[in-house]
Amino acid sequence: MAKSDLDNANPTVLSVSQLPSRNLAKGHVRKGPDSKYDHILFPKQWWAGSSLNTDPSVWTSDEDEDDDLTLATEEPIDEQEIYDLLSTISDPEHPVTLGQIAVVRLDDIHLSPSPAERLDPNTLTNVEVDLTPTVNHCSLATVIGLAVRVRLENALPPNYRIIVRMKDGSHAQDDQVNKQLGDKERVAAALENDTLKGIIEKMLETCV
Amino acid sequence: MATETTTATPTAPSATTAEITPLPAFSPDLYQRAWASIPHPSLPLIATCHAHSVTVFSLSTLSKHSVLTGGHTRSVRSAAWQPPRGKVSGKEAKRLRLVTGSFDTTAGVWTWDQGRREESLEREIRLQSGENDQEAEEEEEAEDEWELTLVLEGHENEVKSVNYSPSGQYLATCSRDKSVWIWEDVGNPNPSSEEEDEEEEDEDEWETVAVLQEHDGDVKAVAWCPDVPGRKGKYAPPRRYGDDVLASASYDNTVRLWREDGDGEWVCVAVLEGHEGTVWGVAWEGRPRENDKFPRLLSWGADEVIRVWSLKEPEEEEHGEGAAGGGGNNTWGFGVPNTMRRSLKEEWECTAVLPKVHKGDIYSVAWSTETGLLSSVGSDGVLALYQETANTTEKNEENETNGEAPTTTSAGGWKVLTTVKGAHGPYEINHITWCKRYDAGSERKGEEEMLVTTGDDGVVRPWQVRIQ
Repeated sequence: MAKSDLDNANPTVLSVSQLPSRNLAKGHVRKGPDSKYDHILFPKQWWAGSSLNTDPSVWTSDEDEDDDLTLATEEPIDEQEIYDLLSTISDPEHPVTLGQIAVVRLDDIHLSPSPAERLDPNTLTNVEVDLTPTVNHCSLATVIGLAVRVRLENALPPNYRIIVRMKDGSHAQDDQVNKQLGDKERVAAALENDTLKGIIEKMLETCV
Repeated sequence: MATETTTATPTAPSATTAEITPLPAFSPDLYQRAWASIPHPSLPLIATCHAHSVTVFSLSTLSKHSVLTGGHTRSVRSAAWQPPRGKVSGKEAKRLRLVTGSFDTTAGVWTWDQGRREESLEREIRLQSGENDQEAEEEEEAEDEWELTLVLEGHENEVKSVNYSPSGQYLATCSRDKSVWIWEDVGNPNPSSEEEDEEEEDEDEWETVAVLQEHDGDVKAVAWCPDVPGRKGKYAPPRRYGDDVLASASYDNTVRLWREDGDGEWVCVAVLEGHEGTVWGVAWEGRPRENDKFPRLLSWGADEVIRVWSLKEPEEEEHGEGAAGGGGNNTWGFGVPNTMRRSLKEEWECTAVLPKVHKGDIYSVAWSTETGLLSSVGSDGVLALYQETANTTEKNEENETNGEAPTTTSAGGWKVLTTVKGAHGPYEINHITWCKRYDAGSERKGEEEMLVTTGDDGVVRPWQVRIQ
């Protein structure tokens, strides 16, 4: 793609060390002995990972902990973990991640009920992610939103309900894009489109 | 709940309670998102759409009957059974037919292959003549009992829903391309007339009779009004249209109603506005109403609301019209020039909004033709059961005689009987339907009604419903 075709030729790029991580989020209380059976109650999603190249076990992993699954699943999923899932997705235009160009921001990820309030691990939990496209007419907003939704659908257990939106006023056709991203049938059909699927798979290649 | 039941009118039967209990799921599990399960109108079969195929389950054994596969290159989103046709001298059409709507932009017409016996006979003969065993085996495996006999092409994008008119004469399909197509089955002319030669019955030929493009967004669902007495009763609109009425639900937040006028044109006769999000579906009232009133329509959607719509009764309309039009009568025939005909629009109004239960998109609502009970499911995994309360019907009538508009926003008129949370565990539920029980556990096979839900977990689950 020629440089001049890009929707945003010169995005602000943050270095990886500037991105929010678990180490920076000190003092954040994580509770959750109640979720120690998560690995039993939330079996890996056997159908979601089939079409896209993602590691189905990633929702249980956490970079601060070792690979022991039982240890890793003792804590409920929090905003930081959602951020970690999303920030490594590649931008469809630039060789940078969505975290680096701040399309995904930790402050714009909300879980309800919050991790501390979830007594029953089967409680339906809303994950709301507000995206900030780099420029307000970015035609790729839908593709980015779709990639975010796919990443979360594949990585999170089935009791999570994913809501992906464009942050208020950040995008010219907010409502249209939001409605499309919230439409299960449209999302399902889009993922059967080989071209679109190819783009999204490529964006997700950089996810660990 | 308790207060509602105590305030019921004295004439209403004593408080109704309902209990919903899960029955064993159909086997096997499909292990992938299943979109919908459509019961056959008269046989103990139910067809579940999942991935590129349809699995037909037996309602007697609660296990797999057959599979329709290899006909679509993308997901099958919906299916419709051909209604039993040509009840000539008591005989029903012999063939099983199912139409599938797929994301691959086509609709497929499938026929249950009855010529199979002859084929297998041929195979046996060939086997005896010493052909390669393996080849014969492969052939046997590849043999599909369901045959894709026709592909209906025309839509530009995913087909979302397919539905047969009550007589089987018409099929409606709708798509993300914002259009509704009506196809006429011309392969079987005059299905209701005497047809001596049954051999000729099964020719597949369809004609496109209408392409309706008035929606501004994806058309999510289509549903034909069932052939209940009210469809042609005294409350039905004057006969300037054919009997069939089609409802379509859209991403543009509206529902539209369509009829065929005297010139064979399909026209939009009403636009129902009120939903504040995608309308996921529509369902007609299949239980005959008192005084043969015209069937009502349900719509539901992403705004978490279920609405009940009623045709404004024509007497009232005629009265107003007569006054305004200088006493002209309303029996306009088709001979009257177009410009002089009354408006083709029908007046529909939202006469009830069901009590709010769901938190999240409502994907499916089923209206029982036996009991009139409603049940709904959605993304929140909740299964809810509702009953109409007798007193509001009276209230509506009062309102009408007083010339007041019936209250449209109150949740009155319907109450929640019971809910089941997490009916498919943590998964979303895509579809619910009422259907008859034929399994060994039922005491009234072929009569007792149960619910069947279909979910993202690939489980198709029947539910026993006990009303007291």
